[in-house]
Amino acid sequence: MKARIENIEPLSATIKRFTLAPEAAKLFPAGAAGAFILLEIPGPSRVWKNAYSLISGGRRETYEIIVRRVAHSRGGSAWLHDHAAPGQLLEISEPANLFPIARAAQNHLLLSAGIGITPFLSYLPVLQAHNLGFELHHCCKQDEQEIFRPLLPNLPNVTLHGSRNSLDLTALLSAQKLNTHLYVCGPEAFMDGVIAAAKKIGWPDAKIHEESFGGATGGAPFRVNLARSGVALEVASDQTLLEALESAGLQPPRMCRGGACGVCELPVLEGVPDHHDHFLTAAARAAGKSIMTCVSRAKTPELVLDF
Amino acid sequence: MGLNKSRPIYQKLQLDPQGRAHLIVTDLDALPEDVIEADLALSNIESWVVARAAPGIAASPPGSRAFRSVADLLSHLAHHLAREPVGLRLYAAGTEAFLWDVANIARAAGLSQDEVFLTQAGSLRRRVYCTHCKSINEDVTTNIATCRACGAHLFVRDHFSRRLAAFMGVMVDAEMPGEIPAIEVIYP
Repeated sequence: MKARIENIEPLSATIKRFTLAPEAAKLFPAGAAGAFILLEIPGPSRVWKNAYSLISGGRRETYEIIVRRVAHSRGGSAWLHDHAAPGQLLEISEPANLFPIARAAQNHLLLSAGIGITPFLSYLPVLQAHNLGFELHHCCKQDEQEIFRPLLPNLPNVTLHGSRNSLDLTALLSAQKLNTHLYVCGPEAFMDGVIAAAKKIGWPDAKIHEESFGGATGGAPFRVNLARSGVALEVASDQTLLEALESAGLQPPRMCRGGACGVCELPVLEGVPDHHDHFLTAAARAAGKSIMTCVSRAKTPELVLDF
Repeated sequence: MGLNKSRPIYQKLQLDPQGRAHLIVTDLDALPEDVIEADLALSNIESWVVARAAPGIAASPPGSRAFRSVADLLSHLAHHLAREPVGLRLYAAGTEAFLWDVANIARAAGLSQDEVFLTQAGSLRRRVYCTHCKSINEDVTTNIATCRACGAHLFVRDHFSRRLAAFMGVMVDAEMPGEIPAIEVIYP
């Protein structure tokens, strides 16, 4: 569906808030807490599809997203920062949700770092409106505290940390009761750290909810051979495997484009995948028999896929 | 052949090495060793048993606690789970009614399916729910039971409710009142 950029508000040199409005006088479909949309971003030679969490909750008149300009951007976030302007029309997907609030939980512990705060901005009004027990800890760089502070409600159970060191993860995670669920969103290293600490303390998988859209950063180019389609392709360094398949006119399975949903999984027949997703289990990663084409790449010069 | 999807399937209990504390509860007077594969490398294991005949609280081995009745054990369990930090794994061994009473207490306390393990041990006796008067009949060992509340002759079906922790009992002589098949002990 089409959306018009209504407003662009810089929150810092590298972070901007975008307000999108439906074309004509329609309403957008409502997104639940934790939902994201895919934004099609027109580049000079190609289109990027990036996932962004809706921070506007269930509001249907406008959608709001926050975009950080990624240092080694493949182009999408750089275009939004440098070329997007109010009035422009963009193609967006309907909201999907891979990171909903677990409503069976009685207490919710939210841990985020950096731009990973965005899904929680849609959680907070829901948790407050339903009077659900929660605690939010947001970590950011020392000099970014003033960017995030205005986004957060001033509550005793919401804490902003100017460095990861001021958050004693093990103590916080150990002190939680059996009725708490854990939600993690942020850069890969932060998420890996939180999840490893939680598992060491005995948190069961069913109570750890994670989301990250940071995996598709590009990398060394590699070749891919599609055994069933009989097609051989080059995956360029600024392109994902999924994008290479799509640009060859193929219709591989895909949804979130961020290594979270698991829809794009394809079987690997030869070669060693370089996994960047958050979907496969440790055992499945080690086995190397399948790959998430949206974010993962290759450790060998060539991959042969059953597609 | 029809697959009965309402009947849970139980495995031998294996302590989950991901847990940092383990609580094993049983409605028997001692842990049924034949259904528990205890990993001696794990620490922080506690067991709760029911010592009905014991005068007062029986002397329990270390790490074991004896309760005077199943009701006493279950009420302590609810309080215990509300206080325990995450990392606990709960294991139950016993009659099916006991297992699902434990499971329902655990779920109310916020435990997920990854944190609770159940296995059947001891008697096969059934808790039977009268589908006519909605009463619960405990300790049924026969194929046909008389509802203690409304007097209906109930055929004890294999249909199990995890929420009620009970098997469904349906009037066996609804068509021909008084025509009741032979009653046998089949759930000893």
